Amino acid sequence: MLDLYEKIQEACAKIRHEFSDTPRVGIILGTGLGDIVEELEVEATLDYKDIPHFLTSTATSHRGRLVCGRLAGVPVVAMEGRFHLYEGYSLKDITLPVRVFKELGAELMIVSNACGGLNPYFNAGDLMVIEDQINLLGDNPLIGINDDRLGPRFPDMCEPYDQAWIDRTVKIARERDINIHKGVFVAVAGPNLETRAEYRYLRMIGADVVGMSTVPEAIVAVHCGLKTVGLSVVTDMCLPDALKPSNVQEIIAVANEATPKLIAVVDGIIREFNHTRMA
Amino acid sequence: MVSTPRTAKAAHDEGQLLQQAFEYVTSRSGDFALGTRPTTAIILGSGLGGLADQIAEPIALSYEDIPGFGVSSAGGHRGDLILGYLGHSQVIAMAGRFHRYEGWSNNQIAFPVKLMARLGAGKLIVSNAAGGVNPKLRVGDIVVIRDHLNFMGTCSFLGFGNFLGLGDSTQSQQVPNSNLSADQPTLGPNPGPASQAGDVQKCPSLQRAAGIYDPQMSCEAVRIGTRGGFNVYPGTYLATLGPNYETRSEYRMMRRIGADVAGMSTVPEVLAGSAAGMRILGLSMVSNVANPDQPIKADHAEVLEAGAGAAVKLESIVRGVLDLGVPDLSVQDLGMRAT
Repeated sequence: MLDLYEKIQEACAKIRHEFSDTPRVGIILGTGLGDIVEELEVEATLDYKDIPHFLTSTATSHRGRLVCGRLAGVPVVAMEGRFHLYEGYSLKDITLPVRVFKELGAELMIVSNACGGLNPYFNAGDLMVIEDQINLLGDNPLIGINDDRLGPRFPDMCEPYDQAWIDRTVKIARERDINIHKGVFVAVAGPNLETRAEYRYLRMIGADVVGMSTVPEAIVAVHCGLKTVGLSVVTDMCLPDALKPSNVQEIIAVANEATPKLIAVVDGIIREFNHTRMA
Repeated sequence: MVSTPRTAKAAHDEGQLLQQAFEYVTSRSGDFALGTRPTTAIILGSGLGGLADQIAEPIALSYEDIPGFGVSSAGGHRGDLILGYLGHSQVIAMAGRFHRYEGWSNNQIAFPVKLMARLGAGKLIVSNAAGGVNPKLRVGDIVVIRDHLNFMGTCSFLGFGNFLGLGDSTQSQQVPNSNLSADQPTLGPNPGPASQAGDVQKCPSLQRAAGIYDPQMSCEAVRIGTRGGFNVYPGTYLATLGPNYETRSEYRMMRRIGADVAGMSTVPEVLAGSAAGMRILGLSMVSNVANPDQPIKADHAEVLEAGAGAAVKLESIVRGVLDLGVPDLSVQDLGMRAT
């Protein structure tokens, strides 16, 4: 972990060179959810390959660029395309953008993902605000000698997602007539989808949705002291006793359909954020 | 992800390093009767280093000087291998240990245990500070580990490719390998039973975890608690990678799947000790309790403080169990366990 500090500084220097505003919110966009970028008043766009130490995204429907601009008047940076453990990257590299958000001055991270629904009361296309998480990745982004400049050795995880923001997010969704669940996100390494037995297991241990991302970013956000709002789009239902073969095109189609709802909620969060700060 | 299977060469290199470490320790052991008297290995975990100061006639060897050893980076841990006596028993104690969250591989963590077995230790007492998952547990309670759940993400006992990359240069052992994703399970070398009866070569990977923790020493530990008027519960230890503490949902999961305490150590060492034919006593000191419905922040200072309070209890257990003088496992015992 000791080389991270310099990496963060170098990445930030490049971004600051292109985008002089201090971003107040960092956004990470998951599978099929990249359209939020259309809502941005874009001021600068950086390909990941042009940012020092950033990885290149290989996953389906992830583009691989950092979009800097304003959303509802608030300066933000958005990752269009993210990195996953199943791509073969290390969790330290995957989570570097989170530390970069923090270093750039962001006060809030909004992280979104497409996930499978385990809770039988959910439906494909539903939104869920992440209340808590379970790490079944078999790995952790904080392994190695801790750099105390970046955060504590043993971060507490009793509130990985900010409770006040969870409540506000639910309120924001309701005001826009969007049904939103609260629930537990479990992360697995992937890339294969789960077996029926694994879905039963994940449900039994208390998960509402399952995905292959987000948990490392949330752990690092806690480590570096960045408040997090997690938003999941349930793109297919994983009910072990009525399981159909899944199709990544369908998943992306559902994600695209749900995108307007997600955009409305993210937009609402950023407005609320701006308002909360002003008050 | 490029990963290298553990090869015969890696096993050979580790064997050589083990030999160098063995020669280093024996050359500095003075009057300490290595290999001739029953010896107990003790690993002192978070905040429990106080026991190290009570070892009589100590010979302390710094980890930095022992071939194959790394240097512990966690708060509250020192880094000495101490030869000496507790009561009438001959002990080898590790003050300071290695953790997966520091970046060490399972092989690197197992190395000192293999060395202590090689030095003649037939019993292993391992202690740790752990979070109480079972709601009956209170801060300061002691749990005797009777079984464990390995949530370290990789098969813990079998050797790992990481060790390979470090070669046999002792210098390179000082830096933890940060690329744990390269872990590749293959069979590691068997250091053989503690008594140097080289005829027992059980395949350690076939060891059932349920048979790893010694019933006799465990029962004695519970009895000592009863006599001493403090709580000692038999329980199941769940090992995570760490370093972050658990989320509330993770604690709920642990309760549901049958864990009593959760921590970030012990399992790799215990599996190595078991493979080497040692009798094992695992002790957890409950340093904080998980209360998933009423989140309270965990902090490392609290862990250390609770450790100081429970040290007296652990000490009396360790002394009591040592005084019991349980014999090392015989060749027949090992044969029966390896099914």
